[in-house]
Amino acid sequence: MSNVRQRAGLLTPAMAVIGVLLVLPLGLMAFVSTLERGRDGGVIWSRHTLDAYVQFLFERDLMDNLVLNTDYLQIFARSIGLATTTAVLTLVIAFPIALWMAFQPPQRRTFLLFVVTVPFWTNLLVRNYAWILLLRNGGVFDRLAQSTGLTHEPLNVLYSPLATGIGLVYSFLPFMILPIYVSLEKLDRRLIEAAFDLGANRWHALTRIILPLSMPGIVGGFILVFVPCLGAFVTPALLGGGKSLMIGSLIQQQFGQSRNWPFGAALAFVLLALIVFALVLHGLRYRRLAGRLT
Amino acid sequence: MARVATNEGAREQGSSTLHAEVPPAQAQSNIAVDCIGLAKRFAGGSVVALDGVSLTIRSNEFFTLLGPSGCGKTTLLRLIAGFETQDEGSILVQGQKLDGLPPFRRPVNTVFQSYAVFPHMSVEDNIAFGLRMQRRPRSEIASRVKEMLALVRLGGLEKRKPAQLSGGQQQRVALARALATEPRVLLLDEPLSALDQKLRAGMQLELKRLQNEVGITFIFVTHDQHEALTMSDRIAVMNAGRILQLGTPEEIYERPTARFVADFIGDTNLIEARRVSPGRFRILSGVEVEADEAGTIGDDVTLAVRPERVILGAPGQGPLAGAVDQIVYEGTDTTYHVRLAPGVRFRVCEQNRGGARPRFRQGDAVSLSLPADAVRVLVE
Repeated sequence: MSNVRQRAGLLTPAMAVIGVLLVLPLGLMAFVSTLERGRDGGVIWSRHTLDAYVQFLFERDLMDNLVLNTDYLQIFARSIGLATTTAVLTLVIAFPIALWMAFQPPQRRTFLLFVVTVPFWTNLLVRNYAWILLLRNGGVFDRLAQSTGLTHEPLNVLYSPLATGIGLVYSFLPFMILPIYVSLEKLDRRLIEAAFDLGANRWHALTRIILPLSMPGIVGGFILVFVPCLGAFVTPALLGGGKSLMIGSLIQQQFGQSRNWPFGAALAFVLLALIVFALVLHGLRYRRLAGRLT
Repeated sequence: MARVATNEGAREQGSSTLHAEVPPAQAQSNIAVDCIGLAKRFAGGSVVALDGVSLTIRSNEFFTLLGPSGCGKTTLLRLIAGFETQDEGSILVQGQKLDGLPPFRRPVNTVFQSYAVFPHMSVEDNIAFGLRMQRRPRSEIASRVKEMLALVRLGGLEKRKPAQLSGGQQQRVALARALATEPRVLLLDEPLSALDQKLRAGMQLELKRLQNEVGITFIFVTHDQHEALTMSDRIAVMNAGRILQLGTPEEIYERPTARFVADFIGDTNLIEARRVSPGRFRILSGVEVEADEAGTIGDDVTLAVRPERVILGAPGQGPLAGAVDQIVYEGTDTTYHVRLAPGVRFRVCEQNRGGARPRFRQGDAVSLSLPADAVRVLVE
């Protein structure tokens, strides 16, 4: 019994860190979302209301009736769409790279891993500005396209959803490559040899052996890209020109320009709830799959 | 190359299996695998894995490649399977040249040392894998899987995943998977080395039974001489990328032709000698022994005598006098280490027919005699 208590004692530091850095801020955010907004920003700590959540779905018309307002839902749908597209594109680009890396000689693998992490050494803002220089009219890509006769008009890529997509895929590529690489590197090469030995060609070896066995890495990479992508606001603002609002920018605006903390907190909480819901759903499916094994 | 093309054509015309590729005109049906002058170097040529190996393996033979680790036996197997490409030489399976063919076009299957059972597939999916790759009809796959499950005695476990199987059961899945497509030749890369002693003995008999039942040529790689002796029809003993001796287990054990073979297989007393007459050899300053092998007088040779063939007796009974240095009780046998002269020790092995009590004690004076038919003469 004392043994159990001792072990529980060893957990204290970790629990304290999680408590102070995760549970406490989340609780605070949930609490703020149920408060009334202060006139000049901030909140009125003593007045509770669910106005923020109502505002998410409804607006008041001239007669002071609640009318469904899908503006914010559209922003959510657009963000989820963008995050999904980004994650899928990242996966499509990252998988061949990770596969190629995993089959290099060990020394070169270490070097390639380093290369993949190089972008992390530069601030995200700086990297986004670099993309602005590359994508703007008169930038490298534009001039290249015009000089090769691909087009005679400016490309007008910058400040479009395409630019946002390019920026997001670029930023999140390492988060997809690394987990997939790890699962591919662990993969027993004999399994691939066995597949070839039994008459599988390269395509079948890829689809029946390599892909299923690297699924944990693919799922992990997908989550690592999809979730932060939902909340991204720097790239949509800088490369997308802030033309189409994303969840991340919306939330940031509520705490910034709009000075509506409760609404910002409520939006963040809805987003969190959505993500947790998706992860739980995935977890349940995974457990059911695992359950079928036993 | 032309042959490959015609084979492709034959398969497309609907020949029932992948292994019906070789034209029936090939009359060398008694030869399963022909290796001609195989050489393979690794690490940019600095490591010689195979140094000109030629060998012929007969149909339906249980053929073993035996040697210490690094002798090239696994490399030879991987060349036949197509996982590596030889630098020189060629490989033919039933007259069909395999050079340049990828592993999935070769009529041979492999059982891996680590089993390499697909962890995300059930037992039956594992066994069906090769059949599905050959696009066999669904009904045929189902019946073939059932047949294989019965053959390796895994009936009832078809829905299990490899993680729920013991090492021995995984081994059987790997075997069934490799046999399901009826390959011409089955390659086994130390398949039993990961099993414990008891299971291993069982699987040895099982493999032998399987080979008899399915009538497929087995090429078995092992470093375990006991395994090689008990299972094989013929053994090739390899060292440093070469085949040193090829023969039946009896030939390899009783009549080794090289010092390495005599030393590697079983326990052997090796002693330097000089031939004084066609059948007589002088050892140890003056003592002479006889052997059943003729040769040139004056040759310096090595004599090899198995410990169980040496006759241990009281002083004066045999020509070689010595003293018991050490007695090692080994359960079924007792081994006496007998010192003949300073630095010259002989091992004598006797079965413990009379129980555990040894006939002699440490320090006892004894004599040894070597029957002429037990002495092997190794000229090197």
